[in-house]
Amino acid sequence: MSMLSTVVSNLFGGPATLMYPVKPREPHARTRGQIALNESLCDGCGNCARRCPAVAIEIVKEKKQWILYPDRCIICEVCADACNRNAIEVLPKWRTPFYKREQIVFQSKGGKEVKEKAGECPVEEV
Amino acid sequence: MAPRTITPFGPQHPVLPEPIQLKLTLEDEKVVDVLPAIGYGHRGIEKACELNEYPKNIYLCERICGICSAIHGMTYCDVVEKLWPLEIPPRAKYLRTIWAEMSRTHSHLLWLGLAVDALGFESMFMQYWRIREKVLDILEMTAGHRVTQSVAVVGGVRRDIDDDQKKHCIEVLKDVRKEAEALNNVLVNDYTVKARTVGKGVLSYDQAIALGCCGPHLRASGVKEDCRQLGYWAYGDLSFEPITAPGGDTYSRVAVRCGELLQAIDLQLEAFAKMPEGDIAAKPKGSPPANEAATRIEQPRGELFYYAKGNGTRNLERLRVRTPTYANIPSLLVMLPGCEMADVAIIVLSIDPCISCTER
Repeated sequence: MSMLSTVVSNLFGGPATLMYPVKPREPHARTRGQIALNESLCDGCGNCARRCPAVAIEIVKEKKQWILYPDRCIICEVCADACNRNAIEVLPKWRTPFYKREQIVFQSKGGKEVKEKAGECPVEEV
Repeated sequence: MAPRTITPFGPQHPVLPEPIQLKLTLEDEKVVDVLPAIGYGHRGIEKACELNEYPKNIYLCERICGICSAIHGMTYCDVVEKLWPLEIPPRAKYLRTIWAEMSRTHSHLLWLGLAVDALGFESMFMQYWRIREKVLDILEMTAGHRVTQSVAVVGGVRRDIDDDQKKHCIEVLKDVRKEAEALNNVLVNDYTVKARTVGKGVLSYDQAIALGCCGPHLRASGVKEDCRQLGYWAYGDLSFEPITAPGGDTYSRVAVRCGELLQAIDLQLEAFAKMPEGDIAAKPKGSPPANEAATRIEQPRGELFYYAKGNGTRNLERLRVRTPTYANIPSLLVMLPGCEMADVAIIVLSIDPCISCTER
């Protein structure tokens, strides 16, 4: 009988779960989902790459490239805190699962814009 | 005398979320001897910490444990701060306390769920985990992540809790407290739970001290010992009294954790009310000096001990971690002999084993 109040509140309280993926969960504003670079602000100083605990960021100065390895990134937000120009943004949306170890290349303004797609789940043809 | 058989319990077992093996010597269904074997989850984190620069180790130490990751990160920062020594701002102390108690709340809810699941009480398991989800949600709202909060930094904390978040946290915590209290009343008064736990896996007051147990496991044997009594962070300002139970059996361990769950929520509410305004982090100057430091912090499972040795560079010369489960495993040698095979699961679970912590 002591469980009765919990049972009654559950009966009228509705489900505790969401109908994912039909109804995805709304992330909080502070949720660390993935990191992204605003190329126009980046000056390639390398603060982010030096402080990254997971060695997930690489800067190729000659090619003016900022490379992110999303499979290594632990989304700790250290790079965003270290950036003096606020070029790194932390988005609350999670990256979708991926099969291949890819890299995301951001090219600074001088070079040709090359953005490789990563984090999208590839559709395998049977 | 019945013939003796040696039965392996684990490393893969439904009640164990992590790998530990117990070689049980059985006489019919009765356990006469036990030999724990650990070493399935070693990852070499202590050595890896010597190779990294000291600020990067916070995120590595957080990965020692998935449940109390925030406490591991904050304890690492605490021991590194002692190398200077560096005083952290008062608000940071309160924020660390709040996040540590949130970790304790969700850890105890997780354990209570697993314990009742081991007893076959599956609907109660769902109830506990449903309210745990609310605590994880406020952790995500305040820290940015459900599991690896990454809020600690040497010198303080990285994120602040603003007034709106604080208001929401207080509402949720009051709600969780009400629901947890109702469930705890059902759990500790249930006939079947009592039949399965009272007098099972008894560890006396003297044995608990002699075997060096810690945490709720020690307090369930009547020993009033808790690292939070040291008054680190904001615990000195909060009204805190360790919760104990006299029995030393599995039932007492359930009761202590039920009490600590509610106490953790009360501590958070008190800390929110008393939290001062101000900075959240002090900036450390240079590299950690050549010095040694040790710290003791109360984790949900017991005493967490960190030792660090600096050498004047940005790398630590040595980092040593001693986790509570490592101290609690020897008590299984006293608790298990004499019990029935069917009770092994709940007795092993009653020490709240965290094997990834133990082996690092």
